[in-house]
Amino acid sequence: MSFDDNLHELAEFVVNHGLSLGADQVEAYTLYGSAKSVQVERGAIRRFTDISNSGLGIRIIKNKSLGMASTTIFTRESIENCVKDAYELAQVSPPDPNFNSLPFDDKPSPDILDRFDQAVVDIDVEEFTEMILQSIQQAQITDDAIISGNFTTGYGKRFIINSQGIDRTSTQSSVGGYLGVKIEEGDDIGNAYYYDASTVLSKFKYEEIGKVAGERAKKMLGSKKIDTAILPVLLDPDSTYGTIEPILANGINAFSVFNKTAFFVDKIGDKIADDKLNISDDPFYPGGTDSAPFDDEGVVPQKLKLVENGILQTYITDSYTAPLVGLENTGHASRSSFSSGPRPAPYTLNIAPGEISKDNLLEELKEGILLIGSPIGSRGSNPQISAQINQGFFVKNGEILYPVKNTVIGSTVFDIYNKIENLSKETENRNGHQAPWMLLKDLKISGGK
Amino acid sequence: MLDTLEEIINKIQLSNRDFLDIRYGYAMGESFTVRNGRFDSVSNQTTGGIAVRALIDNFWGFTTIVKTDRESILKAVNKAMKMARAGSKYTKQERIIGDDWVFEGSGSTKIEIDPREIDKETKFDKIVQTEKTAREYSDSIVEASSSYQESHSKEIIVNNKGTKVSNETHVIRLIKNIVGRQGVKMQNVFDSTGGAGGWELVEKWDPEKEGLKSAILVEKLLMAREPPSGKMNIIMDPSLTGVFIHEAFGHACEADGIIAKNSILEGKMNKQVGVEGINVYDDPTIPNLRGSFEYDSEGTKARKRTLVENGILKEYFHTLETATALGMEPNGSGRAMNFNVAPQARMGNTYVDNGDMTLDEIAEITKNGVYLKDSYGGYVVPAKGQFYFTCQLGYFIENGEISDMMGNVGMSGMTLEVLQNTYAIGKEWEPAFEGTCGKGGQWVPVIGGGPNLGVSDLVVGGTN
Repeated sequence: MSFDDNLHELAEFVVNHGLSLGADQVEAYTLYGSAKSVQVERGAIRRFTDISNSGLGIRIIKNKSLGMASTTIFTRESIENCVKDAYELAQVSPPDPNFNSLPFDDKPSPDILDRFDQAVVDIDVEEFTEMILQSIQQAQITDDAIISGNFTTGYGKRFIINSQGIDRTSTQSSVGGYLGVKIEEGDDIGNAYYYDASTVLSKFKYEEIGKVAGERAKKMLGSKKIDTAILPVLLDPDSTYGTIEPILANGINAFSVFNKTAFFVDKIGDKIADDKLNISDDPFYPGGTDSAPFDDEGVVPQKLKLVENGILQTYITDSYTAPLVGLENTGHASRSSFSSGPRPAPYTLNIAPGEISKDNLLEELKEGILLIGSPIGSRGSNPQISAQINQGFFVKNGEILYPVKNTVIGSTVFDIYNKIENLSKETENRNGHQAPWMLLKDLKISGGK
Repeated sequence: MLDTLEEIINKIQLSNRDFLDIRYGYAMGESFTVRNGRFDSVSNQTTGGIAVRALIDNFWGFTTIVKTDRESILKAVNKAMKMARAGSKYTKQERIIGDDWVFEGSGSTKIEIDPREIDKETKFDKIVQTEKTAREYSDSIVEASSSYQESHSKEIIVNNKGTKVSNETHVIRLIKNIVGRQGVKMQNVFDSTGGAGGWELVEKWDPEKEGLKSAILVEKLLMAREPPSGKMNIIMDPSLTGVFIHEAFGHACEADGIIAKNSILEGKMNKQVGVEGINVYDDPTIPNLRGSFEYDSEGTKARKRTLVENGILKEYFHTLETATALGMEPNGSGRAMNFNVAPQARMGNTYVDNGDMTLDEIAEITKNGVYLKDSYGGYVVPAKGQFYFTCQLGYFIENGEISDMMGNVGMSGMTLEVLQNTYAIGKEWEPAFEGTCGKGGQWVPVIGGGPNLGVSDLVVGGTN
């Protein structure tokens, strides 16, 4: 017997089988998905790929001890072995006194607009390739531009069933891709990439991928090393989101808060950033690639205000961490794969705009760095930042002079949040991620000159 | 399984120019993590399935399935061939695989003590005691964690050129990560041991000693000076030399990037890329290292690769396709993370070979700069030749002497400059960087290593 065609039945079998072995609580997390990819190399199509992305993850609790097992093989024998493995691990692993219970939630899960598009599933690989060829054409900014990339279309169906009564199913489609463009003029190299992703085929901006990647590669020609200095840094919306989001994801997730490695431990109600910073999280944002009707434990989340006027409003939690930090379960459990356990993580952040125009921000920059698609990267729970600039430009008197190379920003996550000088009134919305342009004052810039 | 795959591939009619391979992959492993006194992951993982690649009329079709019966495999073969034929009209380049490289045999990581025979309590004890010792050392240790991982994978590869290979790889690892905090200042120390082999590689790990060592270091780092900023001379320890050579140079030597014209080393074969005394190798045949294996995921026998000899670029990392395209020998670099992905040109155990200087001698000629230790990892943009890597700690070098400790920091450099800017090579190389390398969404175990290395003009991104 195989469960290939009925993963809901598989998940039910896992829960019942685990309980029959003697487990106190059981959870089955099942993913069924497939993905078609088209690889681009040197401006032409190189490979078609069609793969399955399916797997089962099991959590079993016995006397407060945890056992987990996962498999991609859906035969009855393999599933039974997987349940047995999880149960045996739960029997031998030490109990966790902090464990309360797997969640129960009977709130109806909302329908999210544009979460699933049959056109994404139905598109023929050759039809998809024709779209990609148009993107490549846009990227061909010079005759000898070198263009590489990858495009994927697919869908995933998620089933979560646990012994406490959770029984959820959800399907999401996704289409996305990126192109990297390299232009050489002698020893001078201009290199850039751009991507887009969507849940809906008609909203996938495939031509823009090529156009932006090509234009940016051309602008990256003539890069120079600069002197070490303290300078203001202006970030485009992509860079703003990529800088602000990871700091918040570590800073307010209840698992790290409980372990005291979060950046913002004991800071609810306190100022963690400049007054201008306002951030909310919308799990149900229509068409958001990170939106979801329920979290990775089956709990329906809430829209949350996370930061208001620079003041931290709450932490994000899941079933394990909510009681540990004395908050409600906000439904933010997230798994990196079907084989991983859940941890709290944000869905789709909206970083609110300011009042000044982005053109004014640039015009008023007397001397500084402009980052385009180049976040100031932080690393896990480490508050020290030492981040290379991948796509940055030297600006003088509001004029973009040249791209910089071999340049590193040295700072801390706390400084980044507190040095927000201004936010633009214009925002960009990338797959539900919304952010304005952001001006940071006085950052240490290490140059290679 | 080998017989089934062979029978299927023998039935398929293809022209001499075309290529087809079928790869069976099965892997199982277990991993445990204890964090702040409680187990937050106790997990067993199994993956398995079939991958089929068809290269027909210069175009690749690739598909995977989780069923392993004969009929399902045949269907997958036909699907991959159909995809390749459908795509051939889109390609602009000639793309073939030569007939000359046929491999038959079987390989396996040598194991003295099979970890599957060790009881769970013994494995738990290693990590529980490591974590507990570190956590209880002082109040400023806010998070201590330790993990145990073992994986056992098998690949069977057949292709229409005649290759028939079966290969098993066993990898084991113990990890510790200790985080200290004083107010807004945080520092962490990460370390691991293990490699390709069995329990014998981690048996000697003394949990109390390891936990204590890291906790003491974290305490010192919390009191350490802030790292400097700007362009300066750097001495790297073997761990940092390892990640440096991996990021700065190894990735640029991957021949799929060369063919895609996405490497700064394209066109540099047999040209001077570094100072005369520098030699760089990658050797997956060294026993027991994390990036060791006998056959790659295309069935090619792995061998030592000479990347740089006396500063001259000598070899790339090859798959069957890249070796054919560039008229070179394949060297067993086609690695796939699991059955669900296609092989790419990858590194194994990459290292800079020994020179003849002691650390004190290198510090003396460095005069002023920093001595950086213990890598956290890094990344590179091979097309641009710009790389970045990070260290866990370092020391100032003042007037030729190693002085005060400093905290973690990141560095940036340019691939074509750094090997030319190497001014000192230490006496003894160590495979000190035990990493997991990411490329195209695939993660494979690797080693980076070397001796202490003195390099000028790297950019250090500190706050002072």
